[in-house]
Amino acid sequence: MKLFLDRYAHLDSPIHRWEQSYKLVGLLGLIFAFAFIQKLVLLPIIIVITSIIFILSGLPLSFLLSRLRYPGLFILAVVIFLPFVAGNTVILSWSWLSLKQEGLLTSLLISVRFFCILTVSLVLFGTAPFLNTMKAIRTLGLPETIVDMTILTYRYLEELGEMLFTMQRAMKLRGFQPKNINRRNLKIFAQLAGSLLIRSYEKSQRVYQAMILRGYGYNLDRLPKKSKQFKAKKQNLLATTVILIIALSLIVAEVLLPENIL
Amino acid sequence: MHIPDGFVPPSVSIAGYAITGGVTWYSLRQISRERNPQEKIPKASLLTAAFFVASLIHIPIPPTSIHLVLNGIMGAILGYYAFPAIAIGLFFQAALFQHGGLSTLGINAVVMGIPALLAYHLFQLRDPALRVLPHRFSTQQQKRWTKILAFGAGAGALGLSAIIFTVVIITNLSPDIDAQTERNAIYLSLIGYGIQAVLEGIFTVMLISFIEKVKPELLK
Repeated sequence: MKLFLDRYAHLDSPIHRWEQSYKLVGLLGLIFAFAFIQKLVLLPIIIVITSIIFILSGLPLSFLLSRLRYPGLFILAVVIFLPFVAGNTVILSWSWLSLKQEGLLTSLLISVRFFCILTVSLVLFGTAPFLNTMKAIRTLGLPETIVDMTILTYRYLEELGEMLFTMQRAMKLRGFQPKNINRRNLKIFAQLAGSLLIRSYEKSQRVYQAMILRGYGYNLDRLPKKSKQFKAKKQNLLATTVILIIALSLIVAEVLLPENIL
Repeated sequence: MHIPDGFVPPSVSIAGYAITGGVTWYSLRQISRERNPQEKIPKASLLTAAFFVASLIHIPIPPTSIHLVLNGIMGAILGYYAFPAIAIGLFFQAALFQHGGLSTLGINAVVMGIPALLAYHLFQLRDPALRVLPHRFSTQQQKRWTKILAFGAGAGALGLSAIIFTVVIITNLSPDIDAQTERNAIYLSLIGYGIQAVLEGIFTVMLISFIEKVKPELLK
């Protein structure tokens, strides 16, 4: 299991240079503004904003496309299904199937919103090493316990993924090739999951001992509140302000535009 | 069973974040009451990673295959750490696989996490019953009692998550779907999830009995 979330974090672009804590505030604001959009007139605008951010970030298009493959199925199901069940205005009718305007427009709205939010969050996490993102989140005041848990989970995700694959390979080599579900197969899967949990538990005890030996838990109060890395630079603040103003104007536009404009 | 970005109106996203914030705060407060709260952080983190990985195991059900959600057993094993653990797991699923999303992280955590906490409390019933009435229970009965609770935790958590998920998504997807269609869609998907809930319950029973045999301290 290769995660590759920050595979392109080493590139150099305006978005990469934008410090992660500022970027986090700005882009999260934008993501919520996108989620707020209900009017179709605003869709071209958010597509343009998203494209500008993506192009500025210098991430390769193939990276975005490879990320879009996973979530596709559910979205596709809803987007295909909705135009036939929602609404009253029939545009096209074909025996018992009828394509309806409202459903079609809702599908369009949902898929564009989804695509834009996904692209922006990819830029947010893809343009800085993951640890920097976590440091940024910590400076924004997320509880220590949660930040520690997130970092440790991230640290061991890949390793435990490897462990699972090794065990599954071993099962296969011993001839376990389940074609259907029955009591025996399900039990073997339960034992597989159980072994994984127990091995991680035992590992966590060793990790904890190693962590206390290195002084974990004794320096929390002595850490400086804000690390030097996130010292405010004018450009960072400016970029975040601009993005937040854009986000706010989107929300204002959404609220002020008359209902009948779609 | 994750709500993707852009599928629900902003009010639902914001309400989701508000509830998640509240429940996380409550969980953290319960955790900080323990004697040495930091001791369990590595355990909870590695088990979060393990559950994340275990949910990638595909179980073949011809003609397709399903993966398990495991939020019931997460509650049973992690206790109050289960809610932050699920939020973190969902965060990684959104960030790494684009399952779910950042704007819907809050509501997804509610869908998965609150049933996990309820499953924890359900599974906790195992102890008082055994402590208060130890002479009434034979070993055989104790095992059966644990199995019943494990099934309830596993199947109940998944079933409850499925209900919240289906109701939230179908009532919010589009204002133009009429009520009858909505109701039918909810019933239809709940039948599917019902089968999965039973399977998840059986799986949880098997998993708990395995852990009880091999590493009982994990369930303490």
